[in-house]
Amino acid sequence: MNSVIQVRNLTKRYKDALALDGVSFDIEQDAIYGLLGRNGAGKTTAMSILTAQNLPTSGEVRVFGENPYENARVLSRMCFVRESQKYPDDATPRHAFAAARLFFPRWDQGLADELIDDFQLPLKRTIKKLSRGQLSAVGVIIGLASRAEVTFFDEPYLGLDAVARQIFYDRLLADYAEVPRTILLSSHLIDEVSNLIERVLLIDDGRIIMDESADDARALATNVVGDAAAVERVVNGREVIHREGLGRVASVTFLGRLDGAERAAVVADGLELAPVSLQQLIVRLTQHRSAGRPGADGFGSNNSGPDSSGTKSPSTDTSDADTQEGSLR
Amino acid sequence: MTTLDSGAALQHQVPRNRMLNVVRLQFVNTQTFIWVPALVLGGSWVLSMMIFWIIGGAGVTEVKAGGGSQAPLWYFLAIGIQAMTMTFPFSQAMSLTRREFFLGSLAAASVSGLGMSLVFVLLGLFEQATGGYGINGYFAYLDWVWAAGPFAAGLTYLTATLFFFTIGFWFATIFKRFGALGLTTALLALGLALIGFIALVTFQEAWPAVVKWFTDTGALGLTLWAIPVTGLLAAGSYFTLRRMPA
Repeated sequence: MNSVIQVRNLTKRYKDALALDGVSFDIEQDAIYGLLGRNGAGKTTAMSILTAQNLPTSGEVRVFGENPYENARVLSRMCFVRESQKYPDDATPRHAFAAARLFFPRWDQGLADELIDDFQLPLKRTIKKLSRGQLSAVGVIIGLASRAEVTFFDEPYLGLDAVARQIFYDRLLADYAEVPRTILLSSHLIDEVSNLIERVLLIDDGRIIMDESADDARALATNVVGDAAAVERVVNGREVIHREGLGRVASVTFLGRLDGAERAAVVADGLELAPVSLQQLIVRLTQHRSAGRPGADGFGSNNSGPDSSGTKSPSTDTSDADTQEGSLR
Repeated sequence: MTTLDSGAALQHQVPRNRMLNVVRLQFVNTQTFIWVPALVLGGSWVLSMMIFWIIGGAGVTEVKAGGGSQAPLWYFLAIGIQAMTMTFPFSQAMSLTRREFFLGSLAAASVSGLGMSLVFVLLGLFEQATGGYGINGYFAYLDWVWAAGPFAAGLTYLTATLFFFTIGFWFATIFKRFGALGLTTALLALGLALIGFIALVTFQEAWPAVVKWFTDTGALGLTLWAIPVTGLLAAGSYFTLRRMPA
């Protein structure tokens, strides 16, 4: 394990809101992370602080082992184009790319040219006259062609149609295969990116509530459908995150998996087990929390989720997390 | 409180010339840095010439010195504001430090100011040689500014551009960081300080001495005073920018 980013007890307080509440996590080198969560959960704030575009209220950030703030050595290896990025008034996409070429040492002009073609981006129109999709394309092209060792994409698909989004996903994967690097992608379109991302960081209300590999995340919950009474017997004592019913039929999603014997019993009862998509899981988890219902604070005891204070590194590899925490304290 | 060990940092080179590239980044705004100031300078020159011609036509032959050449100086306030508000957010997307952005922007303003000063000095020399375009009209060659020679006149002009630039830049930074309320408070504080100075001079009945100091110091002397003041303004801008979120 080689972490390029380490975050400890990071807190960001705005005048009237706590955007990040003592979060801790590590970002491993050469992996694609999905930074997921609702609007206002703290995704953009986290990315801004990691790239020193914003400053934390308290806590620590290390990128390549150093504090990124006012640190050209670290910053020149990162790229973060905001979702609401502002450009100089007279600037055209051509100017923006020319500037990016000056400042990103691993900039690939060939890749930029191909992407400009792919997105059919008009190069000579001033950026303030571009459509929302074209504006997003400028950011996406800078992010991809910078080939920065750590690249952030903050909801890069806004205004892009389905075809353009697919181009982005395909290009990202292809170039990632060619030049492996660390990518943090924040997104609401969880289903669309779920095949792309290798790890999931779920942030809700300023806290990390999930830090898992995408595969492990998908296995966190199970859905069982069938006769309401039989379903209730199965989920009795389990942490239910979603429940819906239609007459005598119920569909319940709960955290955790069933072992072989349990599965056989469920099937014998005439119930159906269905996988839970990443998007469903995340919607259920974050919906749950924001509704303020009890028992929804992170995960049950069978998962190594964060404790309620959110100060521990919520890594699945507990032994590693322990040693890390030990050395950090 | 946990702390992170920074000892394992890999030694990575900082790419060179990032500061110089900020100058190129600022000059993407050719309109802000070149065309508008050129238009202000050219426009005020044309207007001044027309006025000299009208006055000359009325039979006045004395020296006609206009203040038109100061017009572009004021525009550097706007350049300072725009260099900050338009380009700072983009500089952050280009992974620049605030320090690199600030010094690079100051360098860009110096380039623009230097160009303006050159035009100013050349115009002044031309006016000096031709007796004010043959009609005794002076746009750039002002006795008071040129008292210590063309080099000093150029230095005065350059210092003035940077003085106004840093004021514009600082105010824009205060506005962006602390909002309209912060800027208004800062302006009120400045107004209060000025009134305090005026009150002090008035109560001490020191106005003649103050006026005498200004005349005695002259354009070059005032310029030499303005350089450290501009430096202080620049330092203030930088420290306001230092902790500014993008």
